[in-house]
Amino acid sequence: MAQTSTPTGSGGAWAVEARGLGKRYRRGWALRDCSFRLPAGRICGLVGPNGAGKSTLLGMATRQVNPTEGELSLFGVPVSDPKVMPRFAFLGQDKPMYKRFSVAETLRMGAELNPGWDMAAAERIVRAGDVPPHAAVGTLSGGQRTRVAFALAFGKRPDLLLLDEPMSDLDPLARDEMSTLLMAEAVERGTTVVMSSHMLTELEDMCDYLLVLAQGKVRMAGDADALVPAHALVTGVTEDGAPPAALTRHTVIESRVQGRQFQAMVRPSGPLSDAWQVSEPSLEEVLLAHLRSPDAPALYTPGTGIESEEARTV
Amino acid sequence: MSTTLTEASTGRATPRRRMVRGLNWLVLRQHRATLLCLLALTVLCSIWIVYQRAQLIDLLDAAGWPGKDAPPQVVGRQYSSLTTLLSALPVVLAVFLGAPLIAADSEQGTAQLAATQSVTRRRWLVAKLGWCFAATLVSCVVLSALFTWWWTPYRSLLSFSWMEAESFDNTGPVLPALALFLTAAGVTIGVLVRRVLPAMVVTFVFAVAVETAWGLMRTHLAPSHVFTYPLDGELPARFAESYELDRWIGSADGTLYGWGTCTEATEKAQNACLSERGIVNSVMEYLDYDQMAAMQWTGAGVLLAGTAVLTAFVVWRSARRPL
Repeated sequence: MAQTSTPTGSGGAWAVEARGLGKRYRRGWALRDCSFRLPAGRICGLVGPNGAGKSTLLGMATRQVNPTEGELSLFGVPVSDPKVMPRFAFLGQDKPMYKRFSVAETLRMGAELNPGWDMAAAERIVRAGDVPPHAAVGTLSGGQRTRVAFALAFGKRPDLLLLDEPMSDLDPLARDEMSTLLMAEAVERGTTVVMSSHMLTELEDMCDYLLVLAQGKVRMAGDADALVPAHALVTGVTEDGAPPAALTRHTVIESRVQGRQFQAMVRPSGPLSDAWQVSEPSLEEVLLAHLRSPDAPALYTPGTGIESEEARTV
Repeated sequence: MSTTLTEASTGRATPRRRMVRGLNWLVLRQHRATLLCLLALTVLCSIWIVYQRAQLIDLLDAAGWPGKDAPPQVVGRQYSSLTTLLSALPVVLAVFLGAPLIAADSEQGTAQLAATQSVTRRRWLVAKLGWCFAATLVSCVVLSALFTWWWTPYRSLLSFSWMEAESFDNTGPVLPALALFLTAAGVTIGVLVRRVLPAMVVTFVFAVAVETAWGLMRTHLAPSHVFTYPLDGELPARFAESYELDRWIGSADGTLYGWGTCTEATEKAQNACLSERGIVNSVMEYLDYDQMAAMQWTGAGVLLAGTAVLTAFVVWRSARRPL
């Protein structure tokens, strides 16, 4: 990883920067004290269980939800400033579109409402999927609709593409097709992508950056390549039916006891005892451990955390 | 692959000169069907008014009016159908144009789609409200103007007096103002309810309630006058068009008694009652036809102020909460 950490230069190098961001609804805080930075040009997976605050975060980034506290800026522009609007494109969970509009009219809407619209690119995406341009959007299949939604998003020429579970309603074939399209378009233009998803394997394949939320807080933020090696999967013999005391010198994310054996996901803060069997976990194992244990300390890889944030950095 | 695609896109690269652009295009395209229906309704209604007026004039010419008496019944069922249609127009606009205007976008998520393009939610909302109000205004102003043009010269022959809803609400500025207010109410209800069908139902109920309240309020739009004349005298002809609010009998010193105070079985008992109380006058409280324009503009002012308040609320709320 050459471009691993801090992009130097102006605030514009950070695609997303959140400082103490929070949103309270009537039933309580959906997201609280959320601080992180996402460098431009990355494909960021947004992971968390239902109700973790993923949609709230994406909603605030797309100006649909007003933050209760804190600041959020995209490329150095606060989201409260309408100037931020041409910089991002958003694809929601249910990909709303005007059902009676034809595909061509939907693209024309993109052209009418976006100053930097790229009709050639949008039409190319639609045509590559053999979507009939004069069919009403309401008559298209799920995959075709998603393709039109992608065309609308990429036609805007965004610097940041925000996706809220974009593939959740697609069959495996369409899902594969859309992932390929997304990666190809994003890489070609250097678009930063933030994508929430429940499909951990999908994230493992596509994302080089991860933001893990649980119970409205950031659990992990950083390079996918740096997050996994920061963890170790430790197996060993229990002491008095509990994981050994020596383990607590390290940051224990999660531990389980099975008979005389314990298994723990730890963030080592020094060499681990030779008595234990140590293996490197998969990304999925790390993510699951963090999602199951929302009280474990948050992890930020270098450059990701905000200075004021007291959470420890590896 | 890229060569064929480039050819195809250059083939479409010279679009026709576009008359309508940006948000205006989006709003007109989205509400194309509704607006065309409204246009058709306006045109057909206008033709109907002109046609009925021509028929009436033919009838009156044949009868030699105003030199001779007009036939007792100059307009028939068509006239009452027309006035009913005009009276229903504000409610129809509120339910079918106002209520779904934003509610449909909330329900289908297209409010989110529009608000995540490069235009702010407020600009989108202003474009939607602007076109909705403009369509309402144009349609109602045209129909009201045509109906007023017909009704005013022939009002003494037509079925309803000027104070009745069929005349008062369908002429002058009242029809457009009532339609704008109810449509704005429909939009507001749609914004709050966020579902098309419930919004339409609530709007309908609300519109009926407003029409009822409006009916009760109408006579209070201008101060009434009082006219006193001898008990056995005739009401002067200049009051032919006055709208009677109430009627009393009164004594010479100005004390008023209810109209039925001295209704007795025999004339003798009645006269005794009258003379005992010194009742010599008939007293009428009325609104004059000359007051109609002022009353209509006052009422329209109240309704337009209501429209402004509702619109401001919708715009204010959209800045705080997504639609």
